[in-house]
Amino acid sequence: MENGLSRRIMLASGTAAVLAVPAAARGRTLTAADVLSRMRDNIGTAWREGGVDRIIAGSADMPVTGIATTMMATFDALKAAAAEKLNLVITHEPTYWSHQDRLDQLQDDPLYRRKLDFIQEHRLIVYHFHDHWHARRPVDGINYGMARKMGWTGYMNAANNRRYDLPQTTLTGLMQSFKVRLKNRTLRAVGDPALPVSKVMTSWGNFSSFPGIPFLDGDADVLVIGEAQDWDLIAYAQDLVAAGRKKGLIILGHVLSEQWGMEFCADWLKGLVREVPVRFLPLIEPYWNPSHPVFEINTRI
Amino acid sequence: MAEPVSPPRNAQPDILQAPLHTGPITALQYIARILDHTGAPNRDKTIDHVTAGDPTTAVTGIAVTAMATMDSLKHAALSGHNLVLAYDPPFWSGNDDLDRLEGNSLFLEKRDFIRAHNLVCFNLHDHWRDRMPDGMAEGMAKALGWTRYQVGGNPENLLLPETSLADLARDLQAKLNDPTIRVVGDPKLAVKNVATLWGAAAQIPAIKLLNGPLDVLITGYTHEWEAVEYAQDMIAAGGKKGLILLGEVMSIDLGMKHCADWIASFVGEVPVEFIASRAPYWGVG
Repeated sequence: MENGLSRRIMLASGTAAVLAVPAAARGRTLTAADVLSRMRDNIGTAWREGGVDRIIAGSADMPVTGIATTMMATFDALKAAAAEKLNLVITHEPTYWSHQDRLDQLQDDPLYRRKLDFIQEHRLIVYHFHDHWHARRPVDGINYGMARKMGWTGYMNAANNRRYDLPQTTLTGLMQSFKVRLKNRTLRAVGDPALPVSKVMTSWGNFSSFPGIPFLDGDADVLVIGEAQDWDLIAYAQDLVAAGRKKGLIILGHVLSEQWGMEFCADWLKGLVREVPVRFLPLIEPYWNPSHPVFEINTRI
Repeated sequence: MAEPVSPPRNAQPDILQAPLHTGPITALQYIARILDHTGAPNRDKTIDHVTAGDPTTAVTGIAVTAMATMDSLKHAALSGHNLVLAYDPPFWSGNDDLDRLEGNSLFLEKRDFIRAHNLVCFNLHDHWRDRMPDGMAEGMAKALGWTRYQVGGNPENLLLPETSLADLARDLQAKLNDPTIRVVGDPKLAVKNVATLWGAAAQIPAIKLLNGPLDVLITGYTHEWEAVEYAQDMIAAGGKKGLILLGEVMSIDLGMKHCADWIASFVGEVPVEFIASRAPYWGVG
């Protein structure tokens, strides 16, 4: 699986090199529109209107000096992108604090104004790249990037890229693997710490009872997610365990559960765009717990 | 003894005006009495409703709990309490959407358990919050020893003796026995002005509070891509703010203990018991 995928990535890179040469040869400045059109041509699936993928700030005709991919366009991520002169920010999660980047109630919000001013001052273009990166074929871009980060590409089920058959461990053992690989401080689990686990279902990012319940009801020992509401999928997992089922649920935190999928996105874009630098900007874990207080947010503007 | 008065023939059915009868007191009658005591009006759209069971069941005891989990229901049945009042619902979605649970084995098991023990489950959510003052906030402030720090008689806003964000988080962790508290912000941040949104916090109310005078917002759960990102961004823009996430259940559990005490103050006929919940998850330090 891993080799097959790597080969496809290399093929995609080869295609991109062909695409990139004429633009450079014409001596034309690379615009955001150029980058987006290459993304569209290489996503491996039909580009669909609707959904949340769109330019959130800036415009398609603006020149691109560099590309940053990141999990969420937090103020910190934008500062890092501006500092590295990467003015096209490809973000998986929103900029303005809701999935749809709704601004109807935030027009006078001081933080919205401040963030927008920063974006304009640094001539940033922010592109929300959520739905299509998940729709990528042959493998959902987030799923592949997370599998790669976890060292799990060899265990990915050929028919279902959310499913892994890992060497047997325990629920605690699996938690430790996440802690080591993802540097996660505040991950949480529902279920018996000693539960043997090898059949793992994943839904990186947010998940809810529907469609989540069938993921727990199948033959998987454990479901791994980023985030869920406590009265919804988490309550279902609790009740499953209380009813004697041998199941576990791991909740990693939304950003940490998906962000290495955006590292893979940077690698994918490097194959499509040769004219400017492309870099993945990792985010901090948003939280700390009282036993290990840390302060990692960059407060300088 | 006055003759029982029959309701007018064409009156609209109203949960607050259950017909009089002389038999054992039913779940419906207790529910009506409890909602009436909150003094809160019915919302146009409310999630306070009977979520399972037969509301004409004669009540043997009242169990009050944070969430109608399998564990809470088992505890209620074992104690002989058949009216279960829970802040969060039994069937794993905000509105107890049953459409997609057709054939789900855990649903059938939980429903059959409820039937076998004659349980009646009622969501006591909106009325408890719409009570004046907010019953949840009053209960949580009391449990934390913060009642004297209420601002203007409103238990949702507190002015605490100054401490640090890390110490406040440790204090909450100890008092609520909450192993998986998560905190956003500078651990050394000086905090005294506290706003609370017990349970879940929606995006706009959380944003409005963060833009007010508070130093720290305490809530149970809020989406990471909404108020969590907003709090991070405020801090990244130089704002001196903190956000504490307790988890839904740990942020309401003792508020429902207060609810049980309150119900016991006006229900004398049957026992009223609070069923405590534990944090649903564990961490690895």
